[in-house]
Amino acid sequence: MNDIGEFTLLLALATALYGCVAYVMSARGNRIDLYLSADKTPFIVWVCVTISSICLWRAFLTDDFSLQYVWAYSNIELDTFYKVSSFWGGQKGSLLFWALLLSTYMLVVCFQNRKKNLRVVPYAMAVMLAILIFFLFLINFSTNPFERIPLPPEDGRGLNPLLQNYWMVIHPPTLYLGYVGFTVPFAFAVAALISKDLDDGWIRMTRKWTLISWFFLCMGNLFGASWAYVELGWGGYWAWDPVENAAFMPLLIATAYLHSVMIQEKKDMMKVWNMSLILLTFVMTLFGTFITRSGLIQSVHTFDEATLGYYFLAFLFVIIAACIGLIIARLPLLKSANELDSFLSRESSFLFNNLVLLGIAFATFWGTIFPIISEAVRGVKITVGPPFYNQVNVPIGLALLALIGIGPVIAWRRATFSNLKKNFLKPVLAGIVTAVALFPVIPLGSRTEIYTYVTFVLCVFVLTSILTEFYKGMVSRMGLHDESAVGALATVTWRNKRRYGGYIVHIGVVLIFAGIAGSQAYGTHTEKHLKIGESFKIRGYTITYEKLVAVEATNIKTRIIAQLAVERDGKRYWTGHPEKEFYKGQNQPVSEVDVLSTWKEDLYMILADFREDESATIKVYVNPMVSWMWTGGWIIALGSMVSMWPDRLEQRRRLDRIRKQEQLFPSPAQE
Amino acid sequence: MQTSKILMGLFVLVWISIGQVSVVSAGALLQDLENALMCKCDDKCGKVLINCTCATSDKTRAKFSKMLDSGLTIEQIIKMQVDEYGETVLSAPTKFGFNLTAWVTPFVALIAGGFGVRKVLLAWVGKKDGGDSIEVPEPEIPEKYSKRLKDELDGIEL
Repeated sequence: MNDIGEFTLLLALATALYGCVAYVMSARGNRIDLYLSADKTPFIVWVCVTISSICLWRAFLTDDFSLQYVWAYSNIELDTFYKVSSFWGGQKGSLLFWALLLSTYMLVVCFQNRKKNLRVVPYAMAVMLAILIFFLFLINFSTNPFERIPLPPEDGRGLNPLLQNYWMVIHPPTLYLGYVGFTVPFAFAVAALISKDLDDGWIRMTRKWTLISWFFLCMGNLFGASWAYVELGWGGYWAWDPVENAAFMPLLIATAYLHSVMIQEKKDMMKVWNMSLILLTFVMTLFGTFITRSGLIQSVHTFDEATLGYYFLAFLFVIIAACIGLIIARLPLLKSANELDSFLSRESSFLFNNLVLLGIAFATFWGTIFPIISEAVRGVKITVGPPFYNQVNVPIGLALLALIGIGPVIAWRRATFSNLKKNFLKPVLAGIVTAVALFPVIPLGSRTEIYTYVTFVLCVFVLTSILTEFYKGMVSRMGLHDESAVGALATVTWRNKRRYGGYIVHIGVVLIFAGIAGSQAYGTHTEKHLKIGESFKIRGYTITYEKLVAVEATNIKTRIIAQLAVERDGKRYWTGHPEKEFYKGQNQPVSEVDVLSTWKEDLYMILADFREDESATIKVYVNPMVSWMWTGGWIIALGSMVSMWPDRLEQRRRLDRIRKQEQLFPSPAQE
Repeated sequence: MQTSKILMGLFVLVWISIGQVSVVSAGALLQDLENALMCKCDDKCGKVLINCTCATSDKTRAKFSKMLDSGLTIEQIIKMQVDEYGETVLSAPTKFGFNLTAWVTPFVALIAGGFGVRKVLLAWVGKKDGGDSIEVPEPEIPEKYSKRLKDELDGIEL
């Protein structure tokens, strides 16, 4: 089977090479025969990569330690669940997983656009194949997951205990689905530049893809935060690690793109800007991959065998140079009328939103690469950690939050004074009332507390502005039709999915802002060394250390579990079981925290240490409002679903466009 | 005049953002120290001390706690750490010399971008008519047309 896996990888590379060349030649020479031939390659490549992936999964599930990769990331005792996820636990498998996702996306794009827009689609397919060729080249010739060990050992080295968590099965694939997904809009953007077909056709063709990729990237980031929270045992969820930053930056740029592209769709403006944003988004996804695989920047996420830095750096340079070259070459065609009715308009607010989003992305990028710059200039490698990002990004983030409230209620084209007064009166009043009500209640002794106060006020302002929009839509609908309030709200949302889906996403973002602010400012923690029966108090909770239990979970894993009774108002409230897991052959034990999560706060317990006399060091955090962030994440998911849901009206418009295109450019089948 | 006001406002924003806020609570001293320094374990975990859970970080915390109890200030402990491990032990760049560029550049870029966006917007508005200050009175629309318009707008995806 391993031979089959290796062979199909080579076959995939050869087919992809042929497909790429054939697509380009068919588009350049109007060769229908070549196009029909090339159009088969995405399917063949997908089959080959899928077979290869199945072979690797089989090797993991059957404990085939003749493969160096399986030996390095699995062992006999590993749960089947984690054997499946070990596939992407290391560099080699993660690249194959990337190729698998990319070939799957490519296949869907191929079926979706078969015999449509024959000026753009062949080039888009060629670009996707070219990117896939890069990954297949690496997998085949530099970091082959099917590399053998001459004398196979009896057991493997095992998966890093930190990766033995259910989030490992969810977080990386979600993030990769986002990363890889941006290849599709990127490919169509480049194809539009090559083919000079620079109307908003490529934007409309890839709108859903952009939304889907954005959704996965957003969820991937949140899942990663969730994983860090429950697995790393330090009471936090985001550490501004370079790799976390690398996943955050494309999300910010893609968010800027999703907003500014609306201006192009509505007013045919900002073509160069939108083109640059989507190209930059893709470049940043590659930058993230470069960081994890170069070892150039110190990160907890870096793969053990980070040896592919130069390949990715070279690829990045080629992509950046090609994108810049194409944009410069097509500048005359990308020129648009660029006229605005008023400085005070939603268009302007979107531009400022873009500025702020890119400002945060730039600050994050700058912080990520500054250690390299410092080393180059001064010869001193420094660290840029959370204090830098918190101080720089928080004020910019607050400006973004304010803009989230302004954007939806400011009028398109021209906002008059009466319009501003009408739309902003309620949100501003709500903000003022919140500011006055909170002022005597919450502490304002440090910068974090002041920022949190401002965040809460802005959150109320933004929520009011969004809810007012829902209310106005609902009332308008009720006035025209005999519908209940709930029915009217549902209908208005359903008939304007993109608009109201966006609003729902904004509500989720507001909750995330509130959750971050609350947990950062008002959290507390304590650490106590306790004997059995001893208690301590934290924020109204009385915690009693009851017992310590050792459990031989498997031949290689021992669990040491502390039992902690939590009392509140004299009554037993909950029993916590934080634990430490010891894995044979691993230097460091892994903390498994126990969390009691409520809407108000999380009680977060860690077994930090224990001794032979059964005394233990217990660390307890009280983290307010953390659950608001996860709730915000699910609301974002809901809003994204609403936005992405197929729209009958849009489908009708799309069919009309396709009919018109087919009249202009008959499909090969028709010819 | 307006530009100088904007610049002043932005300066205040930058100053507030990068300025130090002194924390006097004794209990927060160790936390401040943990926030300011990186964990220097053998595994090179690359985590800020406050975020690290390895055995080395626990020992370091205990050591710092004793140092604080002995009367050493945060600044003195940080200086000792920098002398021992170099600048890389700090969790964020210092705010002087070349390192100041790390703090200032994002804000400079944002301010420059802000002026750029303003200039672009003014140019775009100028192209149209330049008369954005004139408030256009909202016309009176008969109710039946208003209702019909609302009904049609309901069906449009914005």
